[in-house]
Order: sequence, then C-alpha cells, then structure tokens
Amino acid sequence: MRKYAVIYRSVLMENLQYVANIAMGFVSYFIMNYVFMNLWDYMYADSGELIAGYTKEQMIWYVMMTEMIWFGARSATVARQAAMDIRGGNIAYLMNKPYSYPLYILAKYTGEWSVQMPMYMMLAVAMGMTMVGGLPHFRLVTLPVIVLCVVFGIMINAVFKICISMLAFWIEDAFPFQWLYDKLLLVIGTLFPIEIFSGKLQALFKMTPIYTVCYGPAKLIVDFSMEKCLEILTAQIIYLAAGSLLMFWIYRKGVKKLYVNGG
Amino acid sequence: MSTAVKNQLRVCLLSVKYNIMREMVNKVTFLTNILFMMLNNAAFIIQWSILFGLREDIGGYSMKEVMLLWGLTASSFGLSHILFARVFTIHELIISGKLDAYLVQPKNVLLSVMTSSTTASAIGDFLYGIVVMCIFSFSVRRFLLFLLFTVTGTLIITAFAILVGSLSFWFVRTEMFGVHMVNSMISFATYPDGIFHGTARFLLYYVIPVGMAIYQPVHVMVKFDGGILFRVLKYTLCIWLAAVIVFYRGLRRYSSSNLMEARM
Repeated sequence: MRKYAVIYRSVLMENLQYVANIAMGFVSYFIMNYVFMNLWDYMYADSGELIAGYTKEQMIWYVMMTEMIWFGARSATVARQAAMDIRGGNIAYLMNKPYSYPLYILAKYTGEWSVQMPMYMMLAVAMGMTMVGGLPHFRLVTLPVIVLCVVFGIMINAVFKICISMLAFWIEDAFPFQWLYDKLLLVIGTLFPIEIFSGKLQALFKMTPIYTVCYGPAKLIVDFSMEKCLEILTAQIIYLAAGSLLMFWIYRKGVKKLYVNGG
Repeated sequence: MSTAVKNQLRVCLLSVKYNIMREMVNKVTFLTNILFMMLNNAAFIIQWSILFGLREDIGGYSMKEVMLLWGLTASSFGLSHILFARVFTIHELIISGKLDAYLVQPKNVLLSVMTSSTTASAIGDFLYGIVVMCIFSFSVRRFLLFLLFTVTGTLIITAFAILVGSLSFWFVRTEMFGVHMVNSMISFATYPDGIFHGTARFLLYYVIPVGMAIYQPVHVMVKFDGGILFRVLKYTLCIWLAAVIVFYRGLRRYSSSNLMEARM
C-alpha cells in the first residue's frame, strides 16, 4: 500500500501547485448553478410548494451538491488518460512497473480530487448560503458520514469510468461510451433527485451507479435520515466491491489481449 | 480581387475536406463518435420531458420550442466545430507560439488557422440538430430559416471564440477564462431565455452573445419578425468585424517560440 500512498502524495503535492487553475473551473460551476437556480425558481410557483417531496431550497441545494461532486471529482485521469495509455501503447511500459495499473490510476485520481473537491465544497457552501439560504434540517453531526458517502460515491464513479476506459483494449476509441455514461449520470441523478421519476423507474435506478454516485450523497445532505444513510452506505459498499472486481477482471482480460497483439 | 477570394475559399473548403477525410481514416470510430454524440444529446429529452410534466410552459416555451432551441444550439455548435474547430483552442497556438506555421503560408492567416482542424463528433451535433428540428417542428419555411440561423449561429459562436481566444495575445492566463466563456454560451443556450431576468438577461444579450445566436432566431422561427431577422444578420456582421480586428491587432503582439513544426 505504501507505493500507492507515495503516488497519491506526489500527485497531491503537484496539484496543490495549481490551485489557481482549478479555481478557474469555478466559473463553469457558478454558471451551471445559476442556470438551475433560475430554472427551479421558475418551476416552483410559490415558495411553499413541494416537488417530489422537495422544497425549492432543498431542490436547489440538491442540484448544487450533485454538481459539486460532478465538478470536484472530474478528471482526465480516469476518463481519458487510462484510455490513451492503452490506445497509445504506453500501457506496455506501465504494466511492467511494480504496481497494479488500475490501482495506480486510482491513487493518482485520488490525489487530484482531494485538492479539487474541498475547493468546490467551500464554493458550493458559500454560494448556497448567500444565494439560497441555509438548509433547515441539516445537522453538523452528520457531516462525517456524509463525507464518507461522498468519498465512496467518487470512488465508485472512478472504478466504473476506468472500466469504460479499459474498453480501449478492444475498441479504438472508448470515449463515446464515457459520454453516454456521464450523460445518464447527469440527466437522471444530477439534475433531479430520483424521486421525480415513477415508482418503477425509481426501483430501476436504485440498481444503477446513479443511486450510489450522485443521488445518495446529495440526498443525505439535503434530507438526512439514519435508515436512508444505512441503505445508501450498504449499496455503495456492494457497488464498490462489485465494480472493483469488474475493473480487475477487465484489466486481466485486456492485458491478455495486449499480449496477443504484441503490445 | 474576386479570383483571390475564390482561391482562398477553395483552399478553405479543401482544408475542411481533408480534415474530415483524416477523421474518417478509422471508419468505425468515426461513425461511433457521430452516433454516440447524437445519443448523448438525446439524453436531454428525458430532462425536458420531466420538466414539462411538472409545468406546461417553461419560460414561455413549450416542449416543441425547447426542442427547437436545442436543435439550433446543437447544429450551430456542431457546424462551428466541423468547419472551425481550431478557433476553440486558438489560445494554445498563441501561448505556445505555434502560429508560425500559419504565418509563413501565402494564405489568409485567420482563415487558415480557423479551418485547420475538425471535430468528428460535432457531425453528430449538427445532424442531431437537424433531426430534432424535423421531428418536433417541421415546416418548409421554418426549415429554411433554421438553416439560415444555423449559419448565423455558427458565425457568431466562432467569432465569439476568436474574440475571447485572442485575449491571449495580451494576457497570459486568460485561456481558461475564454474556454469557460464559450462553454457558458452552450450552458445558457439550452435553457429558455424566459427563466432569466435582470442582469442575467442583459449579459445573455449583450456580453455572451447567446441572445443573438440562439434566442432571437428561435423567436423568429416561432413567430416570424423581419426586424429581428435583420438585427441578427447585422449583429453577425458586426461581431465578425470585431473578431477580425481584434485578432489582427493581437497578431501584431505575437512572438514566435522558434518552434520547428510541420503541418501535413
């Protein structure tokens, strides 16, 4: 594990040098949230109305939190670099190193989001408090478990994105599959809470990464309950375990294919 | 004079043609990129179906009009990335001193920079826009207007990208600012202007040119107004003049990095 800690630390130190560049991304985050604030402002006829059980403030906070995860956890490492390493042949050098390539990518990615995420978190809280107002049912004591949920969500997302990137072992360009995965996550779990869909669809979405990556953590922030928290954490642990197994399985299969092709 | 213009345009068209042919080297990847981009855009129909399930009109728009808005945004954005993809990364050429390769050619510098690359997936955006328009609100007159506004939208988006990209001639760390400004155009353009008020509305019409590129054309397609049509055409001409002036003013400040580079 120590080698991954070293990779993590070196990437973290490198990213700390570029906080100004990361802060440039605040513009896009601000604009997206501004658009959604205006949209939900329009959708709620009066401030006391409930849509899918959410008040206007809860709905805007929900979108701000899912967007925070979206922006704070985005990185080219899991989406593009892994695919490019395979496509460009760099994988032939990386797989001979004394570490597991998927874990190397995960350690590197963790070093990136551990700088980005706290920055977006601060911006999201500042924006929410000034433009929407405080969350009425939020209790500070729930924060550690919410942070754990957010971290699990980010890792599940990373594992699935690496799985998609590793499709590059078989196809020339895996990036279009990333678009589709991202868009489903964005449209179904990020822009709305899943309660907005019909009962049957809700049950279906609970079995997808959408439930564990964006809906779960954001739901706990805007409307915490112990039962929901346990349900989400259990789903996240199952998803992380299953996703990791799938990731190693695809990698092993892909590497064998790489040997066949000569590397 | 006319021969020179004709030659220049011929070179530009050939450049675009070869860019697309280069992208088509791997046909499966090329087609996958286009198809998946169309599916990617179609995912947003879910979003709007849900929103229109909650309210009948959003910002004064019906579902058909929002789809028209989406169609025009996708086709304008797509066409600008098919023909002039390089303008969206023009700051990189300026900062790293890679404009040299364009300066030494006996061609118009801005035109040869603009037409030097293409994005294959943007063909998916362009086609998606046309398909959505035809499915949701087809009529011959509206289709012709749609094609005209796709051209004006493409020109406005491209000119705006040149304007913000050219800031890199004067300021070193503006590249991300420019990228975010162009991206913000897309973020705003896919939501009805009726939901924005006050300062935001002013910004959308006078700072980020979404109003003239997308909103006003959609209003004209829904209810024809010759005055607005003429205003959009005039605005397109003005923003292009501004972009050309700013680019060539900036070019005077450009300094080479003595980078050896060959363009194939």
